[in-house]
Amino acid sequence: MLPPLIDALPAADAPTSAVDLRTRALGSAGVAFAGYAQSAGGLDLPVGEQLTDAADLFSDRTTMRAWYRGPADWRVDVVTPTGETGVHADGCGTWTWDWEDAVATWSEPGPLAFPSPSDLLPSALGRRLLSEAAEDELSRLGAERVAGRDALGLRVEPAAEAASVPRVDVWVDRATGLPLRVQVWGDDAAEPAMDTSFLELDLTVPPAEVTAFTVPEGAEVREGQAEQLLQAADRDRRRGPALPSSLAGLDRRVVEGAPRSVGVYGRGVTLLAVGVLPDRAAAGLRAELSRAPGAVVDPLGTRIAAGPLGLMIVDGPDGALLLTGTVTLDALAAAATDLTGRAG
Amino acid sequence: MIVVELRKLFRRPRTWVTIGLLNALPVLVAVLLAWTDLAPRPGEGPAFLSAVLTNGTLYPLAALAIVLPLFLPIAVSVVAGEAVAGEAQGGTLRYLLARPAGRTRLLVAKLIAVVAFVVVTVVVVAGVGYVVGRLLFEVQPTGGTALSGTSLTSQELAVRTLLAIGYVTVSMLGVAAFALFFSTLTDSPLGATLGALAVLIASSLLFTLDAASSFAPYLPTRYWLAFVDLFRDPILWRDVVRGVALQAVYVVVLLGAAWANFTTKDVTS
Repeated sequence: MLPPLIDALPAADAPTSAVDLRTRALGSAGVAFAGYAQSAGGLDLPVGEQLTDAADLFSDRTTMRAWYRGPADWRVDVVTPTGETGVHADGCGTWTWDWEDAVATWSEPGPLAFPSPSDLLPSALGRRLLSEAAEDELSRLGAERVAGRDALGLRVEPAAEAASVPRVDVWVDRATGLPLRVQVWGDDAAEPAMDTSFLELDLTVPPAEVTAFTVPEGAEVREGQAEQLLQAADRDRRRGPALPSSLAGLDRRVVEGAPRSVGVYGRGVTLLAVGVLPDRAAAGLRAELSRAPGAVVDPLGTRIAAGPLGLMIVDGPDGALLLTGTVTLDALAAAATDLTGRAG
Repeated sequence: MIVVELRKLFRRPRTWVTIGLLNALPVLVAVLLAWTDLAPRPGEGPAFLSAVLTNGTLYPLAALAIVLPLFLPIAVSVVAGEAVAGEAQGGTLRYLLARPAGRTRLLVAKLIAVVAFVVVTVVVVAGVGYVVGRLLFEVQPTGGTALSGTSLTSQELAVRTLLAIGYVTVSMLGVAAFALFFSTLTDSPLGATLGALAVLIASSLLFTLDAASSFAPYLPTRYWLAFVDLFRDPILWRDVVRGVALQAVYVVVLLGAAWANFTTKDVTS
């Protein structure tokens, strides 16, 4: 019963500038901690069965326990009422342990991956969203109590015209610079589209045996594979259009090792990913998107906005293309025009 | 008076019929699982049930998870709801109070009998689950695997199972406190039982609503399933501690209200 009382205490602010606070947050990758966090997303993504795990992250409440000794030695468990899934990182890759299936999966880092629960930890998400923000996009908020600690507020307001996220609020630990809470806002000013926060935080270094992983006796061991859609994109590297250097006013990013048929555009909070879709996946996804409320179907393709996240299927000359990211529907339409030369 | 109440409770055939029926469902589930070799898909069904085919020592926990959401609270509500209202309906309450023992002692005796029922019921469900699990499923001699993938020795598994039994017992004390309080308000045992069940059903329903998230941590059923956290590594104490503290608050407040009501009400039946 004590933590709610501590959280109710007024937070002490500090005269730290927004730029300095961002610098401190980005420098917090070496801060060790053990924490208990929850993320809540209100985005209902109509993406069918191919991407349910990724979609659940944005639509459900995810409870996480984390032990972080450093960038190459950490563990994040997703806790559910009937089981848990733990990710253990050791510098070479990650072990993912799924208790309910009794499966341990070894994965090595790839150039592209779908979001996983460890990406939603406030410390990781906060640093990622702050890392590419321009100085004139940053401003200071007041202070709040998060996980019983004083946290200084930092706001990012993306300048890109294509941005569908008007602002991101990051609450940074006053003492260590660790991001403690991240709120990603959409058009709805009442509720954030995504809110992830530590509820408990202990800044002592967790023991090495907590983050280490040994495959349990009798468990099935698997080699991690990229999601089917990324595999398909890799197979189709010779297919699909040569992607342009910019789309909808967003510059293409260099992603080492990524298939040629996949492009990522934009920076910071405003990102747009484009990739070739296998025909079967495209048909299912198109049907899902066209059934979604507010779907726009026109000669350019089918597009929807789920909160600040936009999705679009475009029929290109060499097959279907999937466009998705934190961009507006108008930006998706402009990107589709850039890719196909068609007008809406 | 305490001995009298305990004797009365445990000599009543329906007490044992209730406990027997409570065990029937987990036994039936175990037989079906062993017969068909079909466990629920991971993430579906009660906690631990998907894992018992490969480790029968987890079946006491699966048995508790099977009866915890509905059957165990019903049994506890029936017994606790009848504690005072049953005497009033049977016309024996006046005679009980005519003895010099006093109302407070009678309430304490009833309370202890209800607590004893809760303890015996939970232990019997876990015990029957243990026997059934060992008889019908494979048993790992080295203990088992924690939810986090670390190995648990047989001793660690036994200690955590005992902690889980204790936690479920504490959770049921909150149910008993609701039913006992309602039992002092009415002369109808059925009314007291249904009152307690109504509270629990409402609590379970509200817990699923995001709109009720502001007071969800204070709902009586909020932390019932937290005994699963005892099998993570390291143990996740957060919800277990909150669950015990919340039940303690409900028990103290409701028993206080029951005592205040019972010691001041006019007993006419």
